[in-house]
Amino acid sequence: MADGTRTLLVGDGPLADGLHDGLLDRGHLVAQVVPVRTDDGTDVGTGIGTGIGLIGRPELVVHVPTVPARAVALIDQSTQQWVEACEAPMAEAFAVVRACRAYLSDRARLVWVVPTVAMGGAAGFVGFAAAAEGIRALAKSTARQWGPDGLTTAVLAVAPELVLPAESGAGALVPTLAGPALGRSGDAFGDIAPLLDLLADPSARFMTGTTLVADGGVWMAP
Amino acid sequence: MVLVTGGASGLGLGMATAMAAHGAAVVLACRRPEIGEPAAAVLREAGHDVRCVRCDVTSADDIGASVEATVAAHGRLDCMVHNAIAPTGGPTRIQDVSQDHWDAMVATTIRATFDGARAAHPHLRDSGGSMILMTSAAGMEGSTQLPVYAMVKAAQRTLAKGLAAEWGADSIRVNCIAPVADTAAMQRAYMENPDLRERLLERTPLGRIGNPLDDVGPVAVFLASDMARFITGQTLCVDGGGFLGL
Repeated sequence: MADGTRTLLVGDGPLADGLHDGLLDRGHLVAQVVPVRTDDGTDVGTGIGTGIGLIGRPELVVHVPTVPARAVALIDQSTQQWVEACEAPMAEAFAVVRACRAYLSDRARLVWVVPTVAMGGAAGFVGFAAAAEGIRALAKSTARQWGPDGLTTAVLAVAPELVLPAESGAGALVPTLAGPALGRSGDAFGDIAPLLDLLADPSARFMTGTTLVADGGVWMAP
Repeated sequence: MVLVTGGASGLGLGMATAMAAHGAAVVLACRRPEIGEPAAAVLREAGHDVRCVRCDVTSADDIGASVEATVAAHGRLDCMVHNAIAPTGGPTRIQDVSQDHWDAMVATTIRATFDGARAAHPHLRDSGGSMILMTSAAGMEGSTQLPVYAMVKAAQRTLAKGLAAEWGADSIRVNCIAPVADTAAMQRAYMENPDLRERLLERTPLGRIGNPLDDVGPVAVFLASDMARFITGQTLCVDGGGFLGL
């Protein structure tokens, strides 16, 4: 649908890699930027500059926030663990928006891919879930501020299993009386990348600031 | 026994006063005792059990000391209200947000909640108590003018849900209040954003801005009380119906 779309993908790990492959498969021109963690935080600006140098002004920017390595109860966390789980992903998202702003093409879209625990919270991932909800608010605020310039945003909320470490028991993080309506949690390549493609398409241009839930039918609120 | 951060004025003092009026012993944790001490003295003169402790919520040590002072005074902690927040400042473009503003917003909200939760948890577990966090409609609908404020308030809301999930087994409840009320901070916001009050009133079915003591205070009392014993992880919007998106 969006053949040749210039896409800047910020993030690493299995989900980001699957999205990268899925977008390539759908004809996107993709530059993947891996955030660099430093003692002072996360540096995305340098990588974003390099990525834009490779593909030109992006029409689609996708950010997959960095995820904590494992589940830890809040009261057992060190301050450093808290920062890595909560404050760093929020700062990373904010840095992505700011670093991209000057280079976005007309009618570009920014999309964040977060787990549905953003909306419902999660034991063991209290900080990261909170960060993800903060990022959803960033998507809304960015949509409101930059909408008059023709820029749009969205959030894709996906099954926790696609985002959080496999050993965390992520599938149990969204309390539900039933499993996914579609019987599976989805995969980045075949289920989520096509939605990014859809969001990049001009036909979706009147949708901004919103969250699309793509978890196979677990989270159905409101 | 209740601890209220940012308790010297505005929403914090309104909630603290309402709780004191319902018989709670209250500690006002505030960065500026020169404001908090007189506020506590007024409440004591009215017959309430209220004291003030100095607490800069950007300091984990200060938060821990405030919790311990509260427990030392009355032997328990039934409710911690984290209300303090750095000044939000005026309308800000995302690309113009300063590092200082970001740091202050994060430090006084989500980091202070983290530090406060760790300090309060053993005492709230002992009492079967609760924690109340302050959020905002801005966190649910985004904000054109205060993007960082919207982010941290959104984070606070999901933080409450996650803590509710982790602490339920300890019989600790965690809830949020999303208020709109006339406070000194709100007056400053009106000055920096002249049409804010009118815009708020236009979208508020009850046609007025709330009062910290009479409108928000009772909701804090309710959430802290046994009447709300089966409510956790929730957000109560106390804004005259201004935000109907939940």
